[in-house]
Amino acid sequence: MIELFGVTKHFGEEVAVDGISLRVAKGELCVLVGTSGCGKSTTLRMINRLIEHTAGEIHLDGQPVRTFDEVTLRRRIGYVIQNTGLFPHWTVARNIGLVPRLLKWPRQRVRERVEELMALLGLPMAEFADKYPRQLSGGQAQRVGVARALAADPEILLMDEPFGALDPITREALQLELLDLQARLHKTIVFVTHDMDEALRLADRLVVMRQGRIVQQGAPVELLHAPADEFVASLLGGDTRGLKEAALTRVRDRMLPLGPRLLAHERVAVDAPLSQALSLMLWHRVDRLTVVDDEDIPIGELSLRRLVGSKT
Amino acid sequence: MLAGAVAWLTLPAVSVAPNRIVQGTPQRAAEALGWGVTLLASVPMLAVAVLAWRPTPRRLPAALALVIAVLVAIPLWLSAVAVSLEPSSRLGIGSAIWCVLFVSLLALIELRVRLALSRPFGWAVLVPVALAWWGCLAQWLAPLALYREYQGRSDQFYAAFLQHLVLVGAAVGAAILLGAGLALAMRRRAGLRRVGFGILNFLQTIPSIALFGLLLAPLAWLSARFEWLAALGVSGIGWAPAWLALLGYSLLPMVRNIFVALDEVDPAVIESARGMGMSRRQVFLQVRLPLALPVVLEGVRITTVQAIGLTAVAALIGAGGFGTFVFQGLGQAAMDLVLLGALPIIALALIADALLSALTDYLRQGGTT
Repeated sequence: MIELFGVTKHFGEEVAVDGISLRVAKGELCVLVGTSGCGKSTTLRMINRLIEHTAGEIHLDGQPVRTFDEVTLRRRIGYVIQNTGLFPHWTVARNIGLVPRLLKWPRQRVRERVEELMALLGLPMAEFADKYPRQLSGGQAQRVGVARALAADPEILLMDEPFGALDPITREALQLELLDLQARLHKTIVFVTHDMDEALRLADRLVVMRQGRIVQQGAPVELLHAPADEFVASLLGGDTRGLKEAALTRVRDRMLPLGPRLLAHERVAVDAPLSQALSLMLWHRVDRLTVVDDEDIPIGELSLRRLVGSKT
Repeated sequence: MLAGAVAWLTLPAVSVAPNRIVQGTPQRAAEALGWGVTLLASVPMLAVAVLAWRPTPRRLPAALALVIAVLVAIPLWLSAVAVSLEPSSRLGIGSAIWCVLFVSLLALIELRVRLALSRPFGWAVLVPVALAWWGCLAQWLAPLALYREYQGRSDQFYAAFLQHLVLVGAAVGAAILLGAGLALAMRRRAGLRRVGFGILNFLQTIPSIALFGLLLAPLAWLSARFEWLAALGVSGIGWAPAWLALLGYSLLPMVRNIFVALDEVDPAVIESARGMGMSRRQVFLQVRLPLALPVVLEGVRITTVQAIGLTAVAALIGAGGFGTFVFQGLGQAAMDLVLLGALPIIALALIADALLSALTDYLRQGGTT
């Protein structure tokens, strides 16, 4: 659990972070989002004391971070940054094993852990262990970055725009992988991004920041429905917010059981987001889809009226 | 190569003198061994010129083989001239041979780049050439004036070699230690950085002879004042001022390279190293230093090559080394003696350059542990 109480950071005259309070529960994925220079990265880096806060308190599991030795503290917290920060002169395996080695794990245990993590992140040991970072694609390098952060099995993971430098397809794949990992590992994650789609997709709790202050926080759907002000509304996509919300809702939540009518010709998966169903309707110029399960067996139907959520 | 062939046919290839005092008489290649051999020898050169006219992937290796053949043939040809001479006469190398050597080496470098030969392969190519020279020198080339000069003072030659190496080694070694210390201090303090680079830049602009001269008086005074200094051999001339001056010149490139190398390590890498929980010491020793090492070595390379050259000048103030031969030779108007000093200096600089570049490349490949 991470708690911030009235945390402030001054860089000289300039106030980068202005008295923010925030509570990230254990196992929660909290996304800080905002325009450049809003203080989100600074906030993140105050948690592992790469930047020391000027005023207020930051607690980990109820203990102020200032009471920890900073090196010990950081070894307990996973850290992933945008340009991976992998050591170019070390192999992939050595990069991943960094923190366990710093913690003086026995060599055998480090090796086993590296192997385990590479399997977890879909990097076959035989192919990647001895490669150097510059031989990797952007997506592979960032996977190694995540594996390195997870190496010593930290409770907390701090991620500073980790997918910002990747192409859209790789970025989306890694976002889904992160959700998948999180479903299994239940880490407490603070994730910084300026990409609102990424934030909406990943967040359990969304924190919108502006000029060093928190403007609004809550579950993504809450924010979409009731943005606190114009700024949050425009950040969330203005008039396209409906599509963003549709991307967060599953077909499962809106479909009806199979009725007496003939099956519609076009199909949509039960776990697909509503935005995909809408796109299929637009594309095929139809107002009804057959909902199918994993094995492509029809289990329901979805009409345009149901999709948009009108009451009748 | 065409130019080489023209030079070969027209310029004097050798000069022959009955003894050391008399000026040699220049001879063209044809005069020395007749037109048949001369024309035969020019065939590979012309062939390379033809091959280079329209280079194709298949022609380049052939050209390479021919250039090497030319380089191997030179000592053999000289040997052939030498055996025909009277035992006491001296054979000087003439401008035609120098031209051919120069052009061949240029061609060799160009071919290496074109064929993208690896460094070890490039050196392997030179092995037959070196063997040919060595073999010919041992067997037939006794009359070669250069060799005569060497034989007359082979002890001095090795002494000079050692002095040269020790002086360069001591200066570069000290520059590495002192330079590293200075660079580290400058990273901490911005004020020191400005002042430090200012002084070092100023040192660099003083002409070397002037610097040697400037050091003469204070060192002489110091050695007269403190007996233990004099006992160490410190005086106004000799190794002490030479070493100090070399150190002064070596510091700027060294400090600049170490400073830049340490400063230019990707900040993201340093940030993540800190974020992972490495201590300051660990960040420096395991991340910053190894990543900076190739650029640091680049500095060592530049400094070493420069110091090898400057040490030649240091001979003027009695520091010894190959420069001694150069200045002796200039004094006696004996060109061959000058060459005896100059050629090893060039060779030394080239070898140091090659070795250190190879080491840098090796570290760049990610081979650091």
